[in-house]
Amino acid sequence: MTKQAILAGVILVVLLSAGAFGQDRPEAVVDSSNLTGAILPAPVTNIEAKNHKYDDGERIDLFWEKSVDDPDNIFGYKVYRIDKDGASELVRELLPGTTEYFDEEVENDVPYQYIVAVVGEAGEAPSEMTPEVMAAWEFFNFSKLNILILGFIVCGSVLFFISSAKSGKKLFIRKIGGLEALEEAVGRATEMGRPILFIPGILDLDDVQTLAAITILGKVSRVIADYDSKILMPVSRSLVMTSARETIKESYMSAGRPDGYNDNMVQYITDEQFGYVAAVNGIMVREKPATCLYLGAFFAESLILAETGNSIGAIQIAGTARPGQLPFFVAACDYTLIGEELFAASAYLSGDPKQLGSLKGQDIGKIVAMSAIILGTLAMTFASAWELGFMQSLLDILNSIFVTN
Amino acid sequence: MDWQIFGVWLAAFMTLGIISFLYKDNVFYKAAEAIFIGISAGYWFIVFFWDSMVGKFYVQAIESPEPEHHVWVGLILGILMLARLSNKVGWIARWPLAFVVGATAGLYMMMFFVSNAMVQVQSTIMPLWETGDGWFTVFNNIVIIIGVTCGLVYFFFSKKHEGAFGVAAKIGIWFLMVTFGASFGYTVMSRMSLMLGRLDFLFGTWLEMIP
Amino acid sequence: MKRLIPVLITSIVGTVLVFSVFFPMAETWGEDFSLFFDIIAVFAFFLGGGNLVRVHLIKVLNKKGDWKFSIVTLIAFAITLTAGLFKFGSVDIAASVTAEGTWMQTIFNNIIAPLSSTMYALLAFFVASASYRAFRAKNREATILLIAAFIILLGRTPLGMFMTGWIPEWFSIAQIPNLAVWIMNGPNLAGQRAILIGVGLGVVAMSLRLILGMDRTYLGSDHD
Repeated sequence: MTKQAILAGVILVVLLSAGAFGQDRPEAVVDSSNLTGAILPAPVTNIEAKNHKYDDGERIDLFWEKSVDDPDNIFGYKVYRIDKDGASELVRELLPGTTEYFDEEVENDVPYQYIVAVVGEAGEAPSEMTPEVMAAWEFFNFSKLNILILGFIVCGSVLFFISSAKSGKKLFIRKIGGLEALEEAVGRATEMGRPILFIPGILDLDDVQTLAAITILGKVSRVIADYDSKILMPVSRSLVMTSARETIKESYMSAGRPDGYNDNMVQYITDEQFGYVAAVNGIMVREKPATCLYLGAFFAESLILAETGNSIGAIQIAGTARPGQLPFFVAACDYTLIGEELFAASAYLSGDPKQLGSLKGQDIGKIVAMSAIILGTLAMTFASAWELGFMQSLLDILNSIFVTN
Repeated sequence: MDWQIFGVWLAAFMTLGIISFLYKDNVFYKAAEAIFIGISAGYWFIVFFWDSMVGKFYVQAIESPEPEHHVWVGLILGILMLARLSNKVGWIARWPLAFVVGATAGLYMMMFFVSNAMVQVQSTIMPLWETGDGWFTVFNNIVIIIGVTCGLVYFFFSKKHEGAFGVAAKIGIWFLMVTFGASFGYTVMSRMSLMLGRLDFLFGTWLEMIP
Repeated sequence: MKRLIPVLITSIVGTVLVFSVFFPMAETWGEDFSLFFDIIAVFAFFLGGGNLVRVHLIKVLNKKGDWKFSIVTLIAFAITLTAGLFKFGSVDIAASVTAEGTWMQTIFNNIIAPLSSTMYALLAFFVASASYRAFRAKNREATILLIAAFIILLGRTPLGMFMTGWIPEWFSIAQIPNLAVWIMNGPNLAGQRAILIGVGLGVVAMSLRLILGMDRTYLGSDHD
């Protein structure tokens, strides 16, 4: 009797669910072994499977509206993928409340269909099967077209002013205090017969601030070579050591003093942040450099180094792009290169008109940024205050230019 | 010997050695420094070695049933680095250096342009009209927009900071100083708590004077 | 020639990676670079570690300066390398080199961690001396920095409320904790954004100079 009742219940539920939601659903797609005669939860609706745009053909995005029984009467959702042969595979079990799933285990240009089943006490209530969808490969990511265009504008201005400077056009570049003081600081160290300490930050060569530091080192070491002064450069990364040695050697070569160079000018200490700081502190108090340069990526050690430098009476010039560390350098050093100035320093010090031209190009980028802020603010203000349609259009255009996701 | 107690004593001597630097450079600091350098240099090399050479290269290029052959490029570039050991072919070591510099420049150029420049510009487009958040928000928006534009004026390289432009640059540097002051003030308390943490170790864990 | 090839490598790799973000098939190339970089860095360490050993060995052999401490450094370096390479203390050779019970973990917990924390904690004193220095500075910029720092500092402690809690509610912005919040969300945010935008543009220009080969001192000279 009980068996018959269960069988009748199963048949009833299957018939009901088939009549309510299913047409051409392959059999045995969903697991209905748990059916007990209780009422199945309501299935999800508006299920949609889409090729993920602008990728390498590796993803299909699945969206649906959750079951009306979510969250009280369901355990969760199961996503089934059906391939072109009709074979189904459970790809993921999801928690109640979920309304999307991104399938990244699909093959390029192969058709798939999907079913999302709601799992309840009585079993699984499957959705309609989605139409066939393929993960298509796209060559260009058009969602980033605005970035490419803006990038071209900024890079184009940099290149334009570089070529303009090349053709002999004079460019004005304002004085940057910290960089103007550099030669004087090197001269002072030479007069005092004390070394110059150069700290290129604590990150490796795969950080742009370290790259900036190495490019500045090229110019500073040239001045040091000219003055026949001594440079001390303890580093915390082996790659930085190698590139710094190449840089300093080149400076001594071009200064016509190849004999002045030796590898010991650059010394690897340790990759450990505070181990490095402990060693640099030791070098400072023992060697007493007359000038300390901290240029690159710094973290908590910025103040430890700068204050130790202060205690030995060194002239200190610092520069970093990390806003969190700039205050400590500003408070403890004689000069600080703030953010953008660090990246401009090498071009500034080179005195090469072409490189100086690139600084003028950067300024065009700033004009674009400032114009966008002012125009966008006005457009947003007028659009919200007086609901002016054309202002809203202008705002939409600006948003589409600066959108990044 | 109880190794745990030995560990605490060792840590305590290291701590005191480093703190003693505040008085002056001394033999205890030098000892702590020497141990710190030797141990940490070895430690990080070992960690990088197992993580990169075994965890990444060996697993992906050799052990995997579907080996990723492009990982060998990294190994070849790495081996080229070792050319620096020879005076004769040392210049070959510039190739991996050039690769790293080019890749860093290329990779971060767009990344910084998007995450720093574009995102910040878009976030600074704000209404100067009350839209439900109150007039104080409008005032704050005005402050931010003036601050950002004047800050950018300060960074201009190709124009003299004089006249109206000079005034804007001056306002810009004031905003930057407020930013620096805010970061400074924000950090002071956390730095104090670091020292309290070390004192807690010395007087609590080591000397057991704090219950 | 010795410089031409590296300059070309920088330019080609740089240009390819600049454009890689726009082409889905190349979007993961940045991750590949990180992987290559990690492997290159390990080999570079042979040069760095070699330098460390050489410098200290020379000091010991010449009995120069604090040469006795160089012996300590060399021994500490050798012990850590040996313990790590042979995974001393590890029950399973496949387990992480810093897993529970390994020598490396013990070294980290009892030497590296306390030394690092103490070095970090020295900042408490240095922050105090830097504050004093800023306090003594007589120019307008330093004064602005100091006032902002002072307000934020007081705003994060009960003293701020104690000092200005009497200010009526309608002018509550003048209460130090509220003023501190406003400084963080207003002028501080503006300054941060100006710096970030400038850095974004600065990185673009510097990267272009490197990719175009205008700045190449890091590649050494043609003469060696």
